[in-house]
Amino acid sequence: MGWHEVTNPLQSSDVRDVPLNGAPGGRDGMAVAADRPLRAYPFRQPFNWWLKRRGYLLYMIRELTSVPIAVWWLLFLFELARLRDGSGGYRPLEGWFVAVSVVCLVAAVWHSYTFLNLAGLIMRVPLGDRTVQPRVIVSAAFGGFALITVVVAGLIVWGGA
Amino acid sequence: MTAKTITLSVKRYDPERDEQPRLQDYEVPFHEDWVVLDALNWIKAHRDGSVNYRWSCRMGICGSCGMNVNGEPKLGCSAFLRDYLPGPIVVEPLNNFPVLRDLVIDMDSFLEKLRWVKPWIIREETALGPGEHRQTPAQIEHFRQFSMCINCMLCYSACPVIAIEPEFVGPAAIALARRYDLDSRDQAGQERLRTITGDDAVWDCSFIGECSAVCPKGVDPAKAIQQTKFESTMGMLLPWGGTK
Repeated sequence: MGWHEVTNPLQSSDVRDVPLNGAPGGRDGMAVAADRPLRAYPFRQPFNWWLKRRGYLLYMIRELTSVPIAVWWLLFLFELARLRDGSGGYRPLEGWFVAVSVVCLVAAVWHSYTFLNLAGLIMRVPLGDRTVQPRVIVSAAFGGFALITVVVAGLIVWGGA
Repeated sequence: MTAKTITLSVKRYDPERDEQPRLQDYEVPFHEDWVVLDALNWIKAHRDGSVNYRWSCRMGICGSCGMNVNGEPKLGCSAFLRDYLPGPIVVEPLNNFPVLRDLVIDMDSFLEKLRWVKPWIIREETALGPGEHRQTPAQIEHFRQFSMCINCMLCYSACPVIAIEPEFVGPAAIALARRYDLDSRDQAGQERLRTITGDDAVWDCSFIGECSAVCPKGVDPAKAIQQTKFESTMGMLLPWGGTK
């Protein structure tokens, strides 16, 4: 089999910088191509997108944990306001409030756990010409969290006593 | 003995005929070492030459063959048929982009975002010019993983924020901006940082993290975005904030 003669070769002079047609809307005035097909089919996000991947679901759970935390604070502020009428109106040790608090505590712990776990990814701490290892940052974050929890618990328990 | 086969359900869309995309089934030979791209090439060569998809290198370098395989953003050249037994394997175009035809998406928006973040070395006065511009291994390590991005757009397909905010610059473009921001030779300073901390950029991200989970090259765009948020905040709050 021999070489075939190329009958219609592309010459370098055929290749030119073609300016992108000036469709408006480019960022910073940069032009964008205007010669798109008329019927490109648009993507539509399904309503249940957050059920499509485990990562999406865990994200939704992480974000929704902020709701019970906010609810608990509202309830707590409401109870504090009732203290103005005397300690008789103060109900935080009633069963329903304890039950709600336990649910909210679980949500708060999960929220804190996910947040602190991500600290190593979020923070970039330079150390000389290198950076601190993410696991060191995460360990420090959990250590700090534990320390603050102990201090606050101590203030409540012994301070209250 | 009957040869083993597997079914590929390929999303088809012909803008001149179809009102909306539809799935079309193809029975393809099963081979242990075949990937989805091999199966598509077999379909095109032996069953239906009208199937459209992008591909080039077949080895996870060029980033052309991004597609959704059973709902998961994948490179067609890296998705082995054996991992989807007994099938069927549903092959669809990437999410969050308009579909031009079959598996071919309109990537203009991505290319425009890419240019917007200026993914190249910016110097204050002169270009780098010829000769050596030496960096220590530690300096390279600061940005190396972000330089692995092949612009395959799988991260855009996995990002639900893009679906509701199409103007969001998105994971890969920000990861590449970060790659140059961390390069000791780059002198863009606030120029690029202002871009990626301004409108439609890092603050649109709600940190779902799936962009990093689907990256075939181990790039962590979520990290690039969150670190940019953190450092721009520190830069605002602390006189010495913001690091190179």
